Formats: sequence, C-alpha cells, structure tokens
Amino acid sequence: MHELAIAQSIVEVVTTRARECQATHVKLVRLQIGEASGIMTDSLAFSFEMLTSLDPLLDGTQLLIESIPHVARCGACAQEFAIVNLVPLCPICQQWSGDVISGTELQIQEMEIETALSVMEE
Amino acid sequence: MPTKVTIAQHILAANEASAQELRQELGARGLATINVMSAPGAGKTTLLEQTIRRLHGQLAIAVIEGDIETSNDAERIEAAGAQTVQINTRGACHLEAHMIRSALEQLDVGQADLLVIENIGNLVCPATWDLGEDLRVVVVSTSEGDDKPAKYPQMFATAQVMIVNKLDLLPYVDYDLAKVKREALAINPQLHIFEVSCRTGAGLDTWCAWLCAFAHSALQERTR
Repeated sequence: MHELAIAQSIVEVVTTRARECQATHVKLVRLQIGEASGIMTDSLAFSFEMLTSLDPLLDGTQLLIESIPHVARCGACAQEFAIVNLVPLCPICQQWSGDVISGTELQIQEMEIETALSVMEE
Repeated sequence: MPTKVTIAQHILAANEASAQELRQELGARGLATINVMSAPGAGKTTLLEQTIRRLHGQLAIAVIEGDIETSNDAERIEAAGAQTVQINTRGACHLEAHMIRSALEQLDVGQADLLVIENIGNLVCPATWDLGEDLRVVVVSTSEGDDKPAKYPQMFATAQVMIVNKLDLLPYVDYDLAKVKREALAINPQLHIFEVSCRTGAGLDTWCAWLCAFAHSALQERTR
C-alpha cells in the first residue's frame, strides 16, 4: 500500500522537471521498477492516474513501467540466475547467494513533454 | 513532436536527500540513531521497554514511536523511562524522513545519547525508506513463520542487526531457528544476530551491551 507514496514522489519529481523545462503537458513517463522492489505495478499505475488527474500539466500522462528481473550471481559457480519467489537459491548449486545484480530498481528514466514551442511546430 | 527529457533519478531521491540532511543534523546533536522494524507483534515495543530499563544510567534513550493509530506504545515507552514522541501515520504503512524531522522538533534531545525510531509493524514498506539512521534493526519472533528472511529479503538485506525474540516459546512452536539464521546470513552475511526472550530476559544483557558499545562508537566516529 506504499504505492501511493511512491506515486506521489514520481509526481513531485516529474512536476518539478516539467516546470523547469516550461512544459505545457507531460505526455509520458518511463519508469524502471525492479521485481523485488516491493511495488505492485497495477497499484502504482492506479495511484499515478488518480494523482495526475488533479493537475492539468499531468492529466492523461501515460505511465510506462519497465519491469527489471530479479537476478543474482552464485558465489559458488559464478553463474547468473533468475531469483524465483525472492529466494536467491542457485538452481545449479542449490547455494544461497547475497549477490543480487538487479531487481531492486526504483528509477524514473525519462519523460516526454510538450512545450509551447513543440505545439507551434506541429 | 513531444520532447524527450532524461531524468534518470531514484524515485525516492527527495526522501534520500532529506534522510541525508537528517543524518547530519542527528550527528551534530550528538545522537546515534537506530531504526527498529518488524512484522506486527514480533515484540518491538517490549524489546524497547526492556532495553531502556536495562540501559538506565548507561545510555540516555529518546524514542520516536511510529504507529498507524493510538498512542498505546508511546505510553508504554514513557513508563519505561524514555522521552517519547508518537507519530500516527493514519493509515500509511511506513515512516519517511520528513516525519522524523518534524517529530525531532518535539523532542528535547539535549540529554539523549541514542534515538530509537520504532517503525510501523511491516516487513515490506519500511525497508525502502531511509530515515537517517546509523543502524537498521529487524526483529523476528519464534511465533511467526521461520521463512521471514526468505519471504522479505529486502528487509534482511538492508538491516545490520537481526534480533530473534520469544526464544522461550521454542519448545512449543515449529520454528527452525538454525534455518532462519542460515537464510538471513545467506541474504546478508554481515548481519549481527541476537537471540533473546523479552519475557524471561534471556540474551538481553548481550544485546544491550552490544547496543551501548555501538552507540558510543557511533558518537565517537562523529566527534572525530
């Protein structure tokens, strides 16, 4: 249920950057969310839509979420493997690994904006 | 054509920045800070009561008590002898750095050596938010399942201390303590593990001595 707080943070970052860029509207926001970040992406998308509908600058902004797989490297065989159900157990050696390579990302990658200039060009 | 703008920023950058400022402020005030997290009912508040009583006269402790509702826990902690501020999040499942900063304004921390933040009972969300602490402590108990480290790896990966509470219940529950420790250490090999019973007092002296030494070394680190 902390997705609302996460959505709020995204809206704050995007709004600040959009104002700096003198955007008239934010068309799209691209995120990277790790599988193991503890975020339910459906719930995040719902919260984001609710919050963005309150501000004309963001109303209708498309949210694209790239899900990053949870991957670890085995300390014994050095093989990279996909972590299943958050248990970092190497399928080959049956050893636990604390060396997580990806899957905990909570990143705003980029946005696409319209400015007075970009609308005039069209 | 829309214009692409690269952001490449952590979603919680604002909290991270606020936590970093808080860390400096706490250091300037001469306070070591720990963030105590667990599932509901693992015994965070009882552990704090016992810790405060045992360290009375050795370490002055102030507490920020996070709960969704009620001030029950703050009243218990006050009764144990520590200055306490209650934060009620009214539904939010974790504490954030800005909440700690406003709670701190209500605390007279002039005399305190150690600030304890008791987070909301939840093994998921609090793992994500830095509160400016020096040490993250996760409490588990033998009345819960013995698969908590496996189910909530992020919490165990970001903590430096794991306390296993309710050791006195071990004869009555199917709790594989060796498995819990093995799996927690697999996720985080640096984890310090303490086994305690807040009911019988077993293991609490070891934990309190360690905490006292930690607080003093954290403070010395800062004044250096």
